[in-house]
Amino acid sequence: MISVEVLAQVLLGGVLIGGLYALVAFGLSLIYGVVKILNFSHGTLLAVGGVLASTVYATWGIPLSLITLLLTPIFFAYGYLFFKYLLEPLSKKNHFESTVGTVLITVGALLIMSDLTAKFAGPTQKNINIQFETFEIAGVIVSTTQIIILFGIITLTMTLHYLLKLSWFGRAVKAVTQDPLGAKLCGVNSGKIKAATFAFGSSTVFLASVLFALSFPVDPYIGFGLTVKAFTIIILGGIGNLPGALLAGIFIGVAEGLTGLFWKPEWAPALSVILLLIILILFPQGFQKSK
Amino acid sequence: MNSFKHFFKRFKYFLITIGGMMKSIKTFVSAIIISLFGIAMVPNSLAKIGSCNDPILLGTTISETGPFSTLAERWRKMTEVFAEELNRSGGIFVKNCNKKVPIKFVIYDDQSVPATAVSLYEKMATVDNVDFFVGPDWSSMGGPVPPLADKHQIPMVMANVASPNLYDRGLKYIWGTPYPVVPRWSERYFEMLSTVEPKPKTIYFVTHDNPVMKNLTAFWSKKAEDQGIKVIGTETFVPDTKDFTALLAKVRAAKPDIIYISSFDAPSVALLQQIRKMKIKAMDVHHAMLSGALYKQVGEDIQGMTGELPWYPGIKGDYSEFVENVLNKSGVNMFDYIFSLGRIASYLTMTQAIEKAGAIDRELVKNALYKGSFKSPAGNVVFDERGFAYNNGAFAVQMQQGGKVVVVWPKEAATGKMIWPSPTWQ
Repeated sequence: MISVEVLAQVLLGGVLIGGLYALVAFGLSLIYGVVKILNFSHGTLLAVGGVLASTVYATWGIPLSLITLLLTPIFFAYGYLFFKYLLEPLSKKNHFESTVGTVLITVGALLIMSDLTAKFAGPTQKNINIQFETFEIAGVIVSTTQIIILFGIITLTMTLHYLLKLSWFGRAVKAVTQDPLGAKLCGVNSGKIKAATFAFGSSTVFLASVLFALSFPVDPYIGFGLTVKAFTIIILGGIGNLPGALLAGIFIGVAEGLTGLFWKPEWAPALSVILLLIILILFPQGFQKSK
Repeated sequence: MNSFKHFFKRFKYFLITIGGMMKSIKTFVSAIIISLFGIAMVPNSLAKIGSCNDPILLGTTISETGPFSTLAERWRKMTEVFAEELNRSGGIFVKNCNKKVPIKFVIYDDQSVPATAVSLYEKMATVDNVDFFVGPDWSSMGGPVPPLADKHQIPMVMANVASPNLYDRGLKYIWGTPYPVVPRWSERYFEMLSTVEPKPKTIYFVTHDNPVMKNLTAFWSKKAEDQGIKVIGTETFVPDTKDFTALLAKVRAAKPDIIYISSFDAPSVALLQQIRKMKIKAMDVHHAMLSGALYKQVGEDIQGMTGELPWYPGIKGDYSEFVENVLNKSGVNMFDYIFSLGRIASYLTMTQAIEKAGAIDRELVKNALYKGSFKSPAGNVVFDERGFAYNNGAFAVQMQQGGKVVVVWPKEAATGKMIWPSPTWQ
């Protein structure tokens, strides 16, 4: 018989990890919505970011806020250059070459980034090891880290949502997504918007990586599994729909926790793949279009 | 002389013709580079098997990258130093050659991926023409790789492949020197448990989804029951798991006296951190791969935990000085890389088998290995008819304050006193 405390503990853990999955999915969702590219190396950026932030924090003891301020523009620049010099030239090729080329480049980037990170930072797992206080509320263990991460997830989701809704950049992104030609006629440089969206998606995944490394260890090879989870989330939550992605992420996180609790923990990571297959079979057009 | 001139003249015309056929200088240069690379590969592919005039080629793969690299990242250097130290005295005495023959390792990184290891051993058998195989490690590779040794009839002394069932397949060219083997892995720990006060009554197994770890749980959960310690739960997790909340909530609710973690070091990092965060209490938390690599990743959170260590410098035995020297020169600390002895034992076993066979001959070496007994610093490696070194055991250790590892059992080898129940888990 599972007690209420155990259930509450699992739900809390599920919300936390689900929120982090959603943050990874935000960037991927934006990139796919605007650029129409499935970036297989997206999750690996989280791995690289997490390892980098943890190493910088452990080596020099620089405050986390400063690390975030310093490294976010670097990830933005990486995303911009990656798109501009490796992916954008493929848009001039025919559909087949462009699709295959995109897959090869993003999968290649995944492998190269993982191995380079392992080479320079070592293959071991790393954390941003800040010991926060842990307390017990009615039999449920809650740590200050978890509260900080939850606060970070909510703040980041709201900021990104309103940024995309209210800013010129957000409206330009929406215009390019809905009608690239119309956007061009209105003076929106779709090439630059696409590159900026790719860069923006890359920098949001770095922010996610800092929150992730606060609670869970990261290693150079965790990226692909997270990318698969992000795929499921954007299919569940809808492309470009950030609150939808947050709910979908939490749904997956909680479902994984409950799978571990009521069935077997070893099946929990497979859940997102199973859900992805079920959704693709039952709703091949996605939830939004099937409404 | 004329024939040389003629050859070069012909070769020049050949190059000009080929060059003309090349669409660009870039293509031409690439072709030259590829050709040179091909020529560079020739000496290995033409290496003579069993020659007394060439070094004995031992082919191996090491998990230098990928998830197992935390356990093996310094083994390339260790392997090279092993060869240097052995060759310092000339190498292995081979009776048929009437002299000592040096050894040379052909080493590749298997990236911790079984499929990669399979293709690399195939390459070593067919392109590099190695004389014998040493390695690989890990039971996940001990499944797919050994059939290749049988296919090419090349004796293979695997290193850390500890699951006994992998030796039950009737393969004739396979041996293994894991330290420790599954049936002796936690022998000393359970011996110790029968002597401690207060006595533990319950145990909870948390298992990494991996062949050797599942075997470990299956074997030692039965032993625990036989010893009167009730198994009150068994949970399995996959290596990529980051959130252990559900699993640990169940462990916490069960309140076991002992939590036995059968896992490689890297996959259990998040688990150990979360055990602490969830304030789980027990008399002892035992980790089957308590290592320096784990300490570097988890830190003080593993203080007070117990584990196993196959051997450590200071314990005298055959080749102990040689092995200590190799470890020192390659910067390998036994506690950081706890499976180094299994690796070195595979090299020691193979070199002794070649000497025993008296020839660089695969069939004779195979016969020398069959049910053989070979020296190692931790006692003799003794093979049964399957090629399994059934005798290899380990000491029980406890990690005490400041990351200090103390051998606590058996008493005669103990370097410190066991603190029981472990105060850090109260």
